[in-house]
Amino acid sequence: MIRVELVKMLRRPRTWVTIAMLNALPTLVAILLAVTDVGPRSGTGPAFLSAVLTDGTLYPLAALAIVLPLFLPVAVAMMAGEAVAGEAQAGTLRYLLVRPVGRTRLLVAKLISIVMFVLLTVVIVAVLGYVVGMLLLGDGDSSGLVSGVSGTSLTGTQIAQRTMMAVAYVTLSMLGVAALALLLSTFTDSALGAALGALAFLIASTLLLTLDAAAALQPYLPTRYWLAFVDLFRDPILWGDLVRGLLLQGVYLVGFLGAGWANFTSKDITS
Amino acid sequence: MTTARRWWIVAIGVLALLAAPLLVHALPVEDSAESATSLAARIQQSHDVPYSGSAESTGTLQLPASTQFGALGDLLGERTRLRTWWRSADDWRVDTVRTTGESDLFHDESGTTRWVYESLTATRTPNVFVRIPDASDLLPPILGRRLLDGARPDELSRLPAERIAGRDALGVRLRPSDQQSSIDRVEVWADPETAVPLRVEVYGDSYGPTDQPGQVAVTTAFSSFSSELPAASITRFEPPPGSTTRFERVLDFASAADAFAPQEPPANLAGLGGRRTSAVGAVAVYGRGPTLLVGVPLWDRAADPIREQLNSTAGMRHTTSGHFVGTGPLGVLLTDEDAFGTSWLLTGTVTPATLERAAAELAASGGFG
Repeated sequence: MIRVELVKMLRRPRTWVTIAMLNALPTLVAILLAVTDVGPRSGTGPAFLSAVLTDGTLYPLAALAIVLPLFLPVAVAMMAGEAVAGEAQAGTLRYLLVRPVGRTRLLVAKLISIVMFVLLTVVIVAVLGYVVGMLLLGDGDSSGLVSGVSGTSLTGTQIAQRTMMAVAYVTLSMLGVAALALLLSTFTDSALGAALGALAFLIASTLLLTLDAAAALQPYLPTRYWLAFVDLFRDPILWGDLVRGLLLQGVYLVGFLGAGWANFTSKDITS
Repeated sequence: MTTARRWWIVAIGVLALLAAPLLVHALPVEDSAESATSLAARIQQSHDVPYSGSAESTGTLQLPASTQFGALGDLLGERTRLRTWWRSADDWRVDTVRTTGESDLFHDESGTTRWVYESLTATRTPNVFVRIPDASDLLPPILGRRLLDGARPDELSRLPAERIAGRDALGVRLRPSDQQSSIDRVEVWADPETAVPLRVEVYGDSYGPTDQPGQVAVTTAFSSFSSELPAASITRFEPPPGSTTRFERVLDFASAADAFAPQEPPANLAGLGGRRTSAVGAVAVYGRGPTLLVGVPLWDRAADPIREQLNSTAGMRHTTSGHFVGTGPLGVLLTDEDAFGTSWLLTGTVTPATLERAAAELAASGGFG
């Protein structure tokens, strides 16, 4: 079942068009940085963007920081919102469940397919970011060492290891969005409605993060720790927010996926 | 399995996950019978204790946006995430953590290096007695000890213990008795074993028309804390590749005035005793504990941009001495130029009347004690 869902995801032109569109913005930003040599002011703009002016090695992380707040969650919400509702909308869900496949297994297979889509997307953003960064922004110091966020020198191996950890963290950060869109997808036959519902939740979360009056709520908002992957490049690594971010995504995953499971395994499938 | 049972399983699972942190928070906190005076004394003696941890400070004070004040407006008016490794007073590191990067202070016996990641710049400056406050001043141990410095027994009382950074922290409250003070109260919670302050809250009386007396002005607290000695390698700075290193003799306009201005401030000002431990210097520092009065003599070249900024600041008012702006318990008074072209920037946690009195006394003495 999982293999079927993965093959279906990989064979869809929509998957690759989405990935291509996600990579367009970081590539455009790299071109603009290379041409103008103008970075954001200190404390503004996406993480790592000012540092990559002198060293393209870190551009994969800048590319992740560019797509993470908006474009990646939009793509995830669209994919996950379409997972069950799309089948219902196309009239194929009934036939899908005729096969000897449990609904729980189908739901899990859909989620794994979405997570693999996120992983594939994030890896391509990072790899393309590295290529674009090296070609357009240069490879920095001849010693091969790169300045970490805390002013310590990181070796190429350390950068590679931490970038892989960042890719994994960003992928896992999307679990909450994916589970919510999947939950909504089990309630409606409209894929767009499920995706927009998940996005509305994320926009509310992002808005509340800017509001001092919502300080008590902020540690529990799904977008609160998304950019904590930057902490992997501090020295020593600042683990607190990374761990909190993963635990929070776990709670959202259990809650939303559990509700999706309770609803999907109980409902009458009519389309 | 029935539909209802499935939903019950989900509801119980979610409730269990949500309740776990609440249960940890609700565990009883162990208090102690230690007196407020003894606790305050132990806090003052904790300056040699090494520690490390993450902290967060929140300020509600809206300083005039002037480049002269550096990052002070952000420190006193916004939320700041900090990390620190403190080996001793002459060997420490404080990071200001941002999602876009960080600014770090590496301090040793001969000076301080400020690292800014976004610009890949390290700036080395010598140690000075007077400077504009930086991130290190907002660490709970530094701020807590400074605020309790010189506290009298009748100003102190105990507060119930609270769990802070996983420790059952003992609390002490200070209500300053100085009439010049604009601070309502200060509350400090300290680690029961080492007496290192873990959380500090400063409540002010009001200057501004919309402020309420007794509102919190600044809060700073550890979210994680360890009293183990940090490794020496963590507090040492080696410039990374691709970075720029600069050396500057002058840190900011306050340290420049202290070093180069000719004034010799009087021993007492506006009824407050001198606070300087270094005799040489033109900047006037007075008061005790949370009651602080600072006077910086400025030439017109330094004073004019500040005056211009104060002119465009909401709530600024002209007084008999100059331009005055108040935010929470903090007052800023820039006096008009005297016959020699000198203005005094008077600021601190004192009442507007105290600032006016200080301005009048400095005008009468010409800034010489």
